[in-house]
Amino acid sequence: MKRGNSLILPAWLSRRFDAHPVRRPARLPLPVPLAGVAGLVALFVAIPVVYIFLRAAGADLDDWQRLLQARIWSLLGNTLLLVAAVTGGALVIGVSMAWLTERTDLPGRKVLRWMFAMPLAIPAYIGGIVHLALLRPRGGLLPQMLESLFGQPVLTPSPLGFLGAAFILTLFTFPYVYLLSAAAFRSQHASLEEAARTLGCKSWQAVLFVTLPALRPGLLAGALLVALDILAEYGTVALLRYETFSSAIFVQLSGRYDRSAASVLSGVLVALAMIILWTELRVQGQARFTQMDGSWRPAPLTALGRWRFPMLTLALSVVFASLLVPVGVLLAWSVVALLDPQTLQEVVRTGSRGFLSFALNSLWTSALAALVAVTLSLPVAVFSVRHPSRISRFVARFCQVGYAIPGVVIALSLVLLVNRAAPVLYGTPFVVVIAYVLRHMPQAVRASEAALNQLSPALEEAARISGRTALQAFRQVTLPLILPGLLAGGALVFLTSLKELPATLLLRPAGFDTLAVRVWVWAADGFDAQAAPAALLLVLASATPLFFLLRREQLFK
Amino acid sequence: MLPRRLISSLFLLVSALTACAPAAPSVSNTPPAGQASIGGKLVVYSGRSEPLIRPVIDAFKAQNPRIEVLLKAGSNSELANALIEERANPQADLFITTEVFTVQSLAQQGVFKSYRPAGADRLPAGSIGPDNSWVGLSRRARVIMYNTDLVANAELPKSIFDLTDPKWKGKIAAAGSTNGSTQAQIATMRQLLGDTETEKWLRGLLANKVIFFGGHTDVRKAVGTGEFALGLVNHYYYHLQVAEGSKVGIIYPDQGEGQVGVITNATAAGVVKGAPNAEAAQALMDFLVSEQGQNLFAAQNYEYPLLPGVALRQGVQPLDAFRLAKVDVASVARETKATFDLIEKVGLP
Repeated sequence: MKRGNSLILPAWLSRRFDAHPVRRPARLPLPVPLAGVAGLVALFVAIPVVYIFLRAAGADLDDWQRLLQARIWSLLGNTLLLVAAVTGGALVIGVSMAWLTERTDLPGRKVLRWMFAMPLAIPAYIGGIVHLALLRPRGGLLPQMLESLFGQPVLTPSPLGFLGAAFILTLFTFPYVYLLSAAAFRSQHASLEEAARTLGCKSWQAVLFVTLPALRPGLLAGALLVALDILAEYGTVALLRYETFSSAIFVQLSGRYDRSAASVLSGVLVALAMIILWTELRVQGQARFTQMDGSWRPAPLTALGRWRFPMLTLALSVVFASLLVPVGVLLAWSVVALLDPQTLQEVVRTGSRGFLSFALNSLWTSALAALVAVTLSLPVAVFSVRHPSRISRFVARFCQVGYAIPGVVIALSLVLLVNRAAPVLYGTPFVVVIAYVLRHMPQAVRASEAALNQLSPALEEAARISGRTALQAFRQVTLPLILPGLLAGGALVFLTSLKELPATLLLRPAGFDTLAVRVWVWAADGFDAQAAPAALLLVLASATPLFFLLRREQLFK
Repeated sequence: MLPRRLISSLFLLVSALTACAPAAPSVSNTPPAGQASIGGKLVVYSGRSEPLIRPVIDAFKAQNPRIEVLLKAGSNSELANALIEERANPQADLFITTEVFTVQSLAQQGVFKSYRPAGADRLPAGSIGPDNSWVGLSRRARVIMYNTDLVANAELPKSIFDLTDPKWKGKIAAAGSTNGSTQAQIATMRQLLGDTETEKWLRGLLANKVIFFGGHTDVRKAVGTGEFALGLVNHYYYHLQVAEGSKVGIIYPDQGEGQVGVITNATAAGVVKGAPNAEAAQALMDFLVSEQGQNLFAAQNYEYPLLPGVALRQGVQPLDAFRLAKVDVASVARETKATFDLIEKVGLP
């Protein structure tokens, strides 16, 4: 067994770091109680999806017709355009930056690795708020500065609309692709490129035609995760006024009395996301590489030569826009907010109960969600890893469905479901926690599966032979050994729950605010400085588990 | 820390449940005696944005230190949806909106209990809903604000219909279709002018590339900095922007002979039927229409108080000076669905 199985990266990629492949467990009879519990978990996860499909299918034919006539097609166009642009942009930036830090002699590449990964701690809508305040046409800080400098308005690029949304979302999603491709670049066998070079390829040809195609499955999986992320994105597109399915559903939910139109749009959105998720799962399944053998050695670094300086500038400008600018501006705003007594008073005690309460709310809901998600993922992971069969694989795959239900859709289905089925829970923060669990269950399942995969079943078998029951063996042997992996999975769920915006906005009970909600509400009213301390705290709270997760990665050791 | 939070939330949950259990609070027309003795949690759903309703709630809390006010601010229709869905399981005690159509249509669906606040008799006719289901709080006018650097006096628009003039293409900002005041304006225009004219106007705005923000604060700031020349807002947003030192002006539109007049609307509040803490809700309602509460709306927010005799904030032009659009609240409220259908049909963002 080996510590340090990767979570941010797909399991197949990190598994390749293992020197000793884990022995497959022997075929066992189907364990009925375990299968039952895992099945129940899958059922729990499936409820919102099934419910949304039922609602969409049961909507008035009129609603469908009205939406089909105009709305759906333009939303579909807008959404797909953004998904394609951001996925493409994230691939280009992510892969090129990964190549620079892993395969070239770029100065400072060790530090740059961290810099490229850390934007994951900044929710895209917070990045959007900062860039909007800086670049907004005429009203932004930069245009105003230029105007006072030159005495007349200077045209600057606008962060609004399609281009702005694509730019901002690319800046804050490329780290997914970066991490994947950096790890892949690093683990690739030197002989591949060497063979290409021997056969007469130039160095760039070797990269383009040999190295990159070999990375394709990993990149595709990463790209599809980015695509799912963009489908679910609400805050940034709403802020930058670009209408996609998610923001249109939010408008339907918060601006109309009629929920069937929202259900119809949700049904289409979830169907779209399911197609992407299904592709992602297939790609992941196919991506099997040979294990590293003894002859493995890292590919040699390319000397950048006179390109060193331009490439460093390029890398630094990415870091500048995605990390330094947002953090720097938030810091500056926070100082302004803390120095101004009136703003400080607002910060400390706005909302029904004040700053401390919504910081704590953020922490305990996310932590509880992490705990519940990891606990629920255990039976599913044990079932699928220790008892591989078509049924268990189906159950595990089903638990991935959360990736395909955007926050707004979870909120819609929970509002309707909880009020009917469990009115006791309605209007409590626990609905928010349920939404986080449903949405982030896939990360927990992937993490628990990865952790179990690292552990040889021989240990459990030994415990069984010495007289322990299956449950005892699990508790006394397996659980302590996979605990680090589970903790990491929990950290991932915690991190993503902290950032969750639309479901929290729609489901929070009166007087219950989280950091994300506060930042959003303040910034929507134009109080950027007031929102900054909360935003900064949110970024710091996300950066901590992210740091811990990255430290587990081979890349950052 | 976590377990304690958990336990306290569980405790909260349990106490909330038991608080619901006793029989429905009785309908009363008299304010409860000894206000200071009222306590507990008071859940307020507010369609008014937090900065605008907070000062009033703070003043109320200062008077009733034992009441903990839990505020949920959102859009009118989002909260109205919640109230309708919660009828069997009420969560909120008091609902405050930015316009009367929402409370009226909720009243028609039996969401509110009837309550006539102390001092209601002094409010002008028409500011109290049928069966005392809701009470109006403050009035505001739909105006056009402009950036004085960008628009010369001679070319100022005089009517909201001037906003569809191509010369303003790309130069106008407004609040989008989730905003209560925007919805109310469209509902009012439907009644005054009919569906066809209203649709034509909305399509004209869209063709003129009007930018729709989520709320009016963005609109006033964008006009203030000169990102847009004109903004369609409630009158007090103009005053709030002036207070920030921007060079902006205000137009009360449609004053000419035969024109519709300035469209006005009122904010309103209703006590929720089956409210867990109706007593506190009624106390807050009393406070909102009291001299002190009304004065806060006027002084802090530059609004028109409904209670006669409360002074306007300096600089706010009295409404008597203007030709006002006349609207029948009850019949507009019955047309809610048609209004939303129109919004959907033209595809207002």
